[in-house]
Amino acid sequence: MKIAFCFDLDGTLTNEEILPKIAKHVDLVEEIDLLTTITMQGQITFNKSFRLRVKLLSTIPIQVVKETVDKTKVNSHLKSFVNKYKDNCFIVTGNLDVWVNDFIQKEFGCRYFSSTARYQDEKLLDVDSILNKKDAIQSLKEEGYDYIVTIGDGMNDCSMFEMAHVGVAYGGVHEPVSTLVQMSRYVCYDASSLVNLLESIYTNYSNEN
Amino acid sequence: MKINTAVICAAGLGTRLGLDMPKCLVTIGNKPLIEHLLHALSDVQNIRIVVGFKEEEVIKCVKNIRKDVVFVRNPNFMHTTNSYSLHLGSRDLSEPFLNIDGDMYITKENFQLFESQIIENENLIGVTKSYTEDAVYVGLNANKEVIAFSRDKISDLEWTGIAYFATLKIREDGGYVYQELESQLPIRSCNIECYEIDTPKDLELVSAKIQL
Repeated sequence: MKIAFCFDLDGTLTNEEILPKIAKHVDLVEEIDLLTTITMQGQITFNKSFRLRVKLLSTIPIQVVKETVDKTKVNSHLKSFVNKYKDNCFIVTGNLDVWVNDFIQKEFGCRYFSSTARYQDEKLLDVDSILNKKDAIQSLKEEGYDYIVTIGDGMNDCSMFEMAHVGVAYGGVHEPVSTLVQMSRYVCYDASSLVNLLESIYTNYSNEN
Repeated sequence: MKINTAVICAAGLGTRLGLDMPKCLVTIGNKPLIEHLLHALSDVQNIRIVVGFKEEEVIKCVKNIRKDVVFVRNPNFMHTTNSYSLHLGSRDLSEPFLNIDGDMYITKENFQLFESQIIENENLIGVTKSYTEDAVYVGLNANKEVIAFSRDKISDLEWTGIAYFATLKIREDGGYVYQELESQLPIRSCNIECYEIDTPKDLELVSAKIQL
């Protein structure tokens, strides 16, 4: 019997969106912001938007992207929770492994599921696979995690919320999209309350199992 | 003893009041009712509000008053009771909590009076001088412990809907909240002044009180 907490990365564990930060390097801030906004609102699919955004950013050397990602502000309350329950926490992100791997290892130290890229040295060639968040939950279930708690804010989190026992829509950076709210048991806007809630879900699960 | 966690049930339709809005958003003395309640509970660390009817409006209003509230959704609010909402609001809790309805008007002083009567690991029931038309009356023994709830007028006191649950889990398929408490009687009571806004008459009464 194992409980899994599955976190979205951008705008949930981080206090800012990662791709718009990267966009500053190529003077495409407005374009990326626009794409991010309409993606959050579900006006275009995550997959389409992500491929577009990656294409816009693919000229930036991977190392430069990594350095930028490295400076992304992390939510300290949530970071402590993930650090404390490392074996039960997972990051489920549509972002690219080559961009976020080092950052996740350094800040959170937990396992993660992400999209993958093909690259040669410092050059990003192409998006190899885009993560469907549902598949991450499916594979955790197959590993024996029998109680799934998901935490996120965007349209692309819906597929993992659909598979979860408890969904928490978290509006730390953005207002969570209404479709996701409809699929959630809890809605909250404050990181410290969120941690409190997750702690009590953990305690309750441990007492009952 | 200090209350750490409160579950406010604010999911219902409030048909008897006849306004097209959740009762907790009704304005009294220039402020929505829920703002008065959150003020009374401002020293309580964890607040959960169960939302259903027009949940987006309630969430929008509340998060501007107090950002750290956790909202618990009851999408089935049309067909469920307050007891079910309370079950949803408390099922992931492993600590004692206060239950209070979102359509309740209570001053901070009265809330603190209730809080001061709490003893560790003991349930506590809030009672008030009866004033509503369809009250649930409470019968007390000589120690001021509640020994019975009744629709018949067995005393001058009624059940407020306010209770401190130290030892009790609320079942999913329960009826009314007071019925959940029945199995644990006798339970100590605390006499407080508070008003539930169920009807236009209640609204008038409380609005007049606030103006004084």
